Amino acid sequence: MKRRAIDPFVILCIVALLLTFLLMGRVLLVIVFRGIGALPAHLASRQTLFALGLSVKSASISSVFCFILAVPTAYTLARVHLPLRGAVEAVLELTMSLPYIVLGLSLLILFSSPAGKTLSAAGFPVVFDQNGIIIAQLVVNLPFAIKLVTTAFQGVDRKLETVAGLLGASTGMQFFSILLPLSRNTLISAFVLIWSRALGEFGATLMLVGVTRMKTETLPGNIYLNVSTNDIDSALASAFLLLVLSTVSLAVSAWVTRNDRRQSRYA
Amino acid sequence: MHEPLISVDGLTLRRGQFLLDHVSLSVAEQEIFAIIGKTGSGKTVLLESMAGFHRPDSGHVLYSGIPIHTIPVNRRNIGYLYQEYCLFPHMTARQNIGYGLKLHHIKGQQANERIESLARRFEITTVMEQHPGTLSGGEQQRVALARALITQPKLLLLDEPFSALDPVTKERLYDIILDIRTGFGCSIVFVTHNFKEAGLADRVGVLLGGKLRGIVSGRELMCASWDEDVKDFLGILD
Repeated sequence: MKRRAIDPFVILCIVALLLTFLLMGRVLLVIVFRGIGALPAHLASRQTLFALGLSVKSASISSVFCFILAVPTAYTLARVHLPLRGAVEAVLELTMSLPYIVLGLSLLILFSSPAGKTLSAAGFPVVFDQNGIIIAQLVVNLPFAIKLVTTAFQGVDRKLETVAGLLGASTGMQFFSILLPLSRNTLISAFVLIWSRALGEFGATLMLVGVTRMKTETLPGNIYLNVSTNDIDSALASAFLLLVLSTVSLAVSAWVTRNDRRQSRYA
Repeated sequence: MHEPLISVDGLTLRRGQFLLDHVSLSVAEQEIFAIIGKTGSGKTVLLESMAGFHRPDSGHVLYSGIPIHTIPVNRRNIGYLYQEYCLFPHMTARQNIGYGLKLHHIKGQQANERIESLARRFEITTVMEQHPGTLSGGEQQRVALARALITQPKLLLLDEPFSALDPVTKERLYDIILDIRTGFGCSIVFVTHNFKEAGLADRVGVLLGGKLRGIVSGRELMCASWDEDVKDFLGILD
C-alpha cells in the first residue's frame, strides 16, 4: 500500500509547536519545581501574605471598575452610530500598544500635577500609594476590556435586539434582557482574563507607586524585590503563586465558556 | 378598499451599489400584499424600509400617516419575521412568545391564556418549554410567528417566510397566513421569489433591479401585461 506523503507545511508547523512547547514548558517547569520547594517557607512569611492579599484585592477592585467603564463604552462602540468612531478606536488601540512603563510615567506626571496633589489633599493619594496600584491596573487594562467586551457585543446578532424593540422593549431593556444575557459567558471570561492581567501588572505600577515592602508590594513587586536581594527561591515561590492563580482563572474562564449543550438540537 | 395602513411614496434608498429606485405602493388594513422578485432585487431592503429600519434618501414611508422611521421602534406595533426567525436563544419557546406581553405589563392569568391560545392555534403546545436550538425549522417559525402576533400588531412583515420549509410545512404555513388575517385582523406583507406563494396575496408587487415594475392582484400575476424583463422573470412565453 502506498504511504501518504506528509505535507512539508504541516511538518514545519509541528516543529514550531515542539520548539514553543520546549521553551514554554521549560519556563513552567522551573517555576513549578523550584517554586513548590520554596513555597511552604515562603507562605509563612508576612511579606508574601501581604503581597498576595494586596494583589488579589487591587486586581479585584480595578477589574470591577474596569468593567463599569468598559461595558457602556463597548456598547456605544458596538451599537451606537458614532461620527468619530475611527478616532475613538485609534486612541484605544494606541493606548493598548504603548509600553506599560510609558503609561505609568504618564500617570505619574498626571497625578504629580497640582490637580493630582489636590486629589491627594482631598483624601485620595495616588502616587506611592495603594490607590495608585488600582489606577495603574485600571488604565493598563481598560483598552483591553473595551476591546473584549466590544467583540462580545458584536458577536450577538443585532436583529435580536431589533425584534425585542418591535415587541416593545426600550433600548435599556434590549440591553438587559437580550444583549447582556447572550454575551454573559464571554463577559465573564473577559472579566477573568482582565483580573488575571491586573494580577500580573508591574510596569505601570512600578512607575506610579514604586515597590515598598509591606506598603505597595504586590506579587510581581515581591518577585522584583526578592530578585534584587538575590533571594531567587522566594521569587520563584511568588511566581508559582501567580501561576496557580492564573491557572485557576483560566479554568474558571474555560468552565464558563463551555458549550451550552442544552440549547443545541444536536447535543 | 380600506384606507392604507402603510404607504410607500417615491422611496429611494441607496445601500452601497444597490439602489431602491422611486418605489411607491400602499397596503390597506387587513390586506395581504406580496413582494416578488429575483434574489438581489431589493425585496428585503424594501420590507425593512417598511418597518422603518432605514431612513429614506428621498420619498417616505408613512405608517398610519406618520413617517415610520420617526416612530420609536418600541412604539411601532409591527410584527417582523426575519428569514432566520431570530428567536431569543436563551429563552424557551414560552418565554419567547411571552416576551412582548411582559413589556406591555400583561401578566398572570391573562398572559398565560394568550400564550396558550396562540400555542394551540400554531400547534406548538408540545415544544413550549424547549429552547429554540432544539426546535425544527417549522417549529421555530411558528414560535416566531406567535411571538410576533402576541402583541396584536396592526402590520405583520414576513421576510421569505416559506423559503426554508419542506413542502408539507409550507402548505401548513399558507393556511396559517390566511388564518392570521382573519384571526388577528392585521395587514400582512411578505417577500417571496415563488409565483405560487405570491398567489396567496390579495395583491402582488413585482420588484426587479430595485424598481417596482407593477402591482396586480394575486390571481392576475401570470396573465397581466408585463414588460419583457418581468415576463422573462415570470417565465411567461409570448
